[in-house]
This record gives sequence, C-alpha cells and structure tokens, in this order.
Amino acid sequence: MATIEERVKAVTARVLNVDPAEIKPEHYFAVDLGAESVQSVELVASFEEEFGIEMEEEEALAVETVGGAVEFITRICRRQGVQIEE
Amino acid sequence: MDEARKPHPLVDGTEPNLLEDTFAYDLPPLIHLDAPAVEYIDGKPVQFDLPAVRNRDICITDTTFRDGQQARPPYTIDQMVRIYDLLSKIGGPGGVVRQTEFFLYTKNDRETLDRCRALGHRFPECTGWIRAVKGDFRLVKEAGLAESGMLTSCSDYHIFRKLKFPSRRACMDSYCEVVAAALDAGVRPRCHLEDVTRADIDGFVLPFVDRLMEMGRSVPEALTPKVRLCDTMGFGVSYPGARLPRSIPKLIYKLNRECGVPSERLEWHGHNDFHKVHVNGATAWLYGCNALNTTLFGFGERTGNPPLEGAVFEYIAIKGGLCGIDTTAVTELADYMRSIGLPIPDNYPFVGKNFNTTSAGIHAGGLRQDERIYNIFDTTRLLGRPPRVAITDKTGVDGVAHWVNEFFGLKGDRRIGKIKCHKLARWVIDQYEVQGRLTAISDEELQAKTRELMPEYWRRYTAG
Repeated sequence: MATIEERVKAVTARVLNVDPAEIKPEHYFAVDLGAESVQSVELVASFEEEFGIEMEEEEALAVETVGGAVEFITRICRRQGVQIEE
Repeated sequence: MDEARKPHPLVDGTEPNLLEDTFAYDLPPLIHLDAPAVEYIDGKPVQFDLPAVRNRDICITDTTFRDGQQARPPYTIDQMVRIYDLLSKIGGPGGVVRQTEFFLYTKNDRETLDRCRALGHRFPECTGWIRAVKGDFRLVKEAGLAESGMLTSCSDYHIFRKLKFPSRRACMDSYCEVVAAALDAGVRPRCHLEDVTRADIDGFVLPFVDRLMEMGRSVPEALTPKVRLCDTMGFGVSYPGARLPRSIPKLIYKLNRECGVPSERLEWHGHNDFHKVHVNGATAWLYGCNALNTTLFGFGERTGNPPLEGAVFEYIAIKGGLCGIDTTAVTELADYMRSIGLPIPDNYPFVGKNFNTTSAGIHAGGLRQDERIYNIFDTTRLLGRPPRVAITDKTGVDGVAHWVNEFFGLKGDRRIGKIKCHKLARWVIDQYEVQGRLTAISDEELQAKTRELMPEYWRRYTAG
C-alpha cells in the first residue's frame, strides 16, 4: 500500500498536471506547483475522495505545502478512523 | 487655512465595529445630520438647520404622468391607473408620496384622472397641470381638482425669447392674472418657476414671488399659492459658496426666508442634464423645500427627473425609518414598467437587473462570507431581491458556490461549501479557458449543469 505522502503526491500531480517525481514536501501548491484558485479547491476535493475523508473547508484550504497536506490529512484520517499507511 | 493637524492613535480591537447605528442593514444606510450648515448670502453667514429635516413634513411628489410622459409615447389609461395604484402602495397611508399631477387637456387625460380617483386612495392626491392661461382653469374646475400647477417661466430666455413678452412687467402681470383666476375659481395655484436656475433672481423671481405672497394674504390658507422651483436645464448645484442663480441653498433661502414662502409650499423639480438630479433634490429637502418632485425611475424630459425610488430611499435614510413606505412596491413597479416596454438599464440603482449582482470572484467571496460586505442593505427584505452573482470568467469558485446556495435557497449552516461545487466551477472556467466563450453564463445553463454535476444536492433540494 502506498504511503500517505506518495498518495498526496500522486493526487497533486494529477490535479496540477505535474510530474510526481518533481514534487517535494516543501513545495508550495500555489507558488511552486502553480495551483490556481479553482485547482486548490479541486485538490481538497480530490484528497477527500482519495482518502475517503471529510475536511473542514477553511482549514484545508489554509494548508499551503505538500508536506503540510500530508500532516493535515494524516491527522484527519486518524480522527475519522481511516486506515492509512504512514 | 488654519492648521488642523492632530494625532490619530489606532483604536485596536479584536471585534469588528460595523457602525450599525448607521448601517443597520434592515434599513438603507441612515443619514445622521449633526449640525447646521452655514452659507454666506449677501456677505453674511446664514445658518440652515439641517437636522430639523427629520421633523419637517418632507414628502415626495410625482410627475410621472406629466414630465414622465413628455419623454415617451403615452401610457394607456389602464397602465396609468395601475401605476397610480402602485404609487399609492409605495407611499403608504401617511402619504410619503403626497401628490401626482395630470394633464387635463384630452378626454383620455380626464378619464384617467377619474379612474385613478375612483380607486379611493387618499394619497397621492391628484393635481392638475396647465399652461398659464386663464381659460385653462375651466378644465381644473371641471375636473374638481383642488390644486393645479401652472407654468410661470421666469428666466429671460423664456420671458423674452420663448414667450415674447415685451417686458418683465407684462410677463408678471400676465402670470398674476392667471393666479387671480385660479384663486377666484377656488383652485390653489402651484406656480412652476420654469428655468429658475438660469433666471434673474433679484430682478424677476423675487419680485414675482413677493407678489404671489401678497395675493395669498387675502385667501384662505388652503388656496395660498405654492411655488415649484424648476431646475429645467439641470443647472442647479448644491455646493456651498456657489453663486445664484445656480445655488440651491441660496435660492431656497431667498424664497423661504426673504419672500416668506413657507417650506410646506415650496417644491423642487430637477433635471439630470449634469448628473446632479438626485443630490440636488435631496439638497432642496435639507435646505427648506418640503416637497421633492420626481418621476418613476427618473424617466422624464431629456435626461430625466429626480427618480422617485431614489427619493424613497433618501427619505427613509433621513427619517430613520420606513414611515409606512412599502419599498417592495418599487420592485413591483419596475417589473410592471418592464412589462409595458419601459427600458430600465441593468445597472440602474435599486431595480436594474444587476443592481446587486456581482461578477468579480473576490466580491463573490465576500458575499459568501457575509452578504453585508457587498450588498448595500437587506435587498431581500426591502426589495425582494437577494444579492446575486453573475457567472463569468471572473466569478471564481466562491461566486459559483454563492450562486448554487442562492439557487437552492440555503442559508447559514445549510450552505454548501465551495469544495462540493468544484466540478461546476471547473465547468465554468473551462467554458472560458478551453471553449473560448465570451458571454456570461445564464441561470438556465447553470441550473442544467448543477443538475448534472451535483445530482445528490439537486435531488435533496429540488422537487426534481
């Protein structure tokens, strides 16, 4: 089973149309990976779908980096009882 | 100029100060007048008690059927009766919309008047409008009206160039003969000082008004002449320090205090040739005219008149309450006017299709968080028109989410977040970025796409 980080990178690569190999945890979605406003929302929606979780909108959209998303999603998965590979 | 510098320390806080004593939201923003205004007239400072306007019996009068009809094909009788009925509804039982005036020259004019009066409304009171010709008072008497406007043009452009009087005295004598005929007939004359903002105030206007006041001393109060200040070409200005004849404060001072025309017999009638029409009307209210003459949606000769609906909201803002006004009837009237072919621009205040519609994504985001951020007042309550978002390439996800929630009628915690609207937002953006679309997206298109892309919400919140 892929780790959370691998799955976050895969979703990010698909939504933002970038090479997953080039995505690093310290990358900012907007500044480094070019996420526009609607893509940020699409990312959140895609993370929810990928992990089967519900995220609070404002909190989720406040996450700026790939590493931040991994931490945030890990926390949500634990809180919502979703099995994950860390 | 005096040095007025002083320090302004930040008043820090963690809660917003929304200034709700002015911006109460369930009313139009209120206008608090705290102090008198001072105007220098004939070299002396004169005070105007502006706060007193709150307690004065200011009112709105209407000339939709007279000046309003000079700018369009005539209304049918049925249309005028319907409009009159709605004017009464707007003004309420207290008669904020106090009077409306009718032509009396044709059979249709008289039938319209009869049918409007047959509705039995106390307000707006029906008055007439005639030329300054003695014979015309027969029409007023036959119609059984208590008051009629009469044209008493007062600039030399009119006196000499249009009416061809040999002298000002001949002109004044002629006007006064007609006023006398009105008084004899038991009809209150309302003298329309046409082109007063281009007239010789000291040389003609004030002597004429002095004479009107003199004539009024020998008749019962109910017959005493009224004076309408007609800014026929829209030359009037509200600015302190402006010279006569263009200064509205000075004009009103001269008539009100030097000639002694009481405020309840003074009326302002403006035109919008210089985009000043509404503020000039409100200025006239503040400085001493009790009546502000208006037309629905400002529709009148050339550039139009003070818009009645604008005066309605100004009235509420000044008085601090609705005072019996039914503001939703403004929307009803606009819908009716559209239905009979009167064009109202989309961006027209209070009633235009888009008057409270935003298409900028950043504004839509504000609306989504708190509609007060980008809505002038509670337009849902006062006009039956919730704030809306027009969907274009500028709308963004916030705007799409706002549209969805408005469409489903969801408020507060029930509102759908923008994450759930992302497919619809993507479709909108692709319309412009991929499809190269150049037009706004209609509600019908968006409804169809909402049904397709958000089927679970569609099932939950619509009958279908």
